Amino acid sequence: MTGKGGLKDLIGLLSRLALGGVFIYSGGIKALSPAEEFAYAIESYKVVNAQLSLYAAYAVPWIELWAGLLLAAGVFTRLNALFIGGMLVFFELLLGQAWLRKLPITSCGCFGSSGGNSIEAEFLQNLVLLALAWAAWRYGSRWSADEYAATL
Amino acid sequence: MTDRKNARLLALAALLIFASTVAVLLARQFSLGPVRPAPDFRVFGPAGAPVQIYEYTDFACPACRHAAGKLEELLKVFDGGIQVHFKHYPLLNIHPWSLHAAAYADCAGAQGKFKEYAGLLFEGQAKWGPARVEAGEPKEFGEYAAKLGLDWQAMLACANDPETLKTLRLDIAEADLKGVNATPTFFINGKRAVGSGQLIDQARKFENILRKAAKP
Repeated sequence: MTGKGGLKDLIGLLSRLALGGVFIYSGGIKALSPAEEFAYAIESYKVVNAQLSLYAAYAVPWIELWAGLLLAAGVFTRLNALFIGGMLVFFELLLGQAWLRKLPITSCGCFGSSGGNSIEAEFLQNLVLLALAWAAWRYGSRWSADEYAATL
Repeated sequence: MTDRKNARLLALAALLIFASTVAVLLARQFSLGPVRPAPDFRVFGPAGAPVQIYEYTDFACPACRHAAGKLEELLKVFDGGIQVHFKHYPLLNIHPWSLHAAAYADCAGAQGKFKEYAGLLFEGQAKWGPARVEAGEPKEFGEYAAKLGLDWQAMLACANDPETLKTLRLDIAEADLKGVNATPTFFINGKRAVGSGQLIDQARKFENILRKAAKP
């Protein structure tokens, strides 16, 4: 695993950058939009009430942005990959229950109001992201801030 | 050794979090965020026009009435070169009926007469705008609908629909995020202008923008 630039290390790096990039984008685009917009999307999952949806809408975009940034830079890589993986599992549960309950959700709210994928598509997309989180957790420590900080 | 490594990583994490937070907050101030489209009936002028104007307006505000006239003139003068996106920003603390007016205007829009109804609201703002809340909803809203031959019952149902209120609240939230605190506020190709004076000031550059856009 720790060979000089082996294939697994490359996969780890690419997974980290791809997943980090997706989270930076999704967090950033929502942080730049009114929280109410994302709150309405959260409400449509019919899991939490309007007030809690709004609190979540204020917090989640920033958490996504920061976690994505730290993962891409490779700061506490394994911990971050695990945290992002946990978030993705939580999103999958939300999407899954909406899918099963056949809730009339036209936009999942994952990428603000600009993205309008169906629930099914988002569910499958998150599975791919989960695989990337696993690869980042398993092989993402090379070429990271973690590695650099250890050599100083 | 591990402590020093963790301290360095924590410092880097703090730096990244701080820098990204400042970047997003600055981007908000400069209106660099995604733009939520207004409903079609609130968009005037051709899509993809070189000059894109987002207007945040309150129907009970006299300056907005004045600016609406100026915008109408600009749309005529720069025919085809400007697209105006009308957004609601009712100043609820000073104009208690503005939100109702905005809702009715959108509902008139659903029946194809947003512009006409908005025109009547601006024209009659001195009558319904200062009406006391205790006196109940101003009768003018219904009168304007009748004048335009709109289905008033459908408008009432539409105005009470949570979806209508949601659209209005999103306009308000978007304006708040952009730091709008006065009406009318315009974003002309992303550049802020407050009041019709600043609008006209920026309109002087439209000719140049259109000329540049016309170049192959």
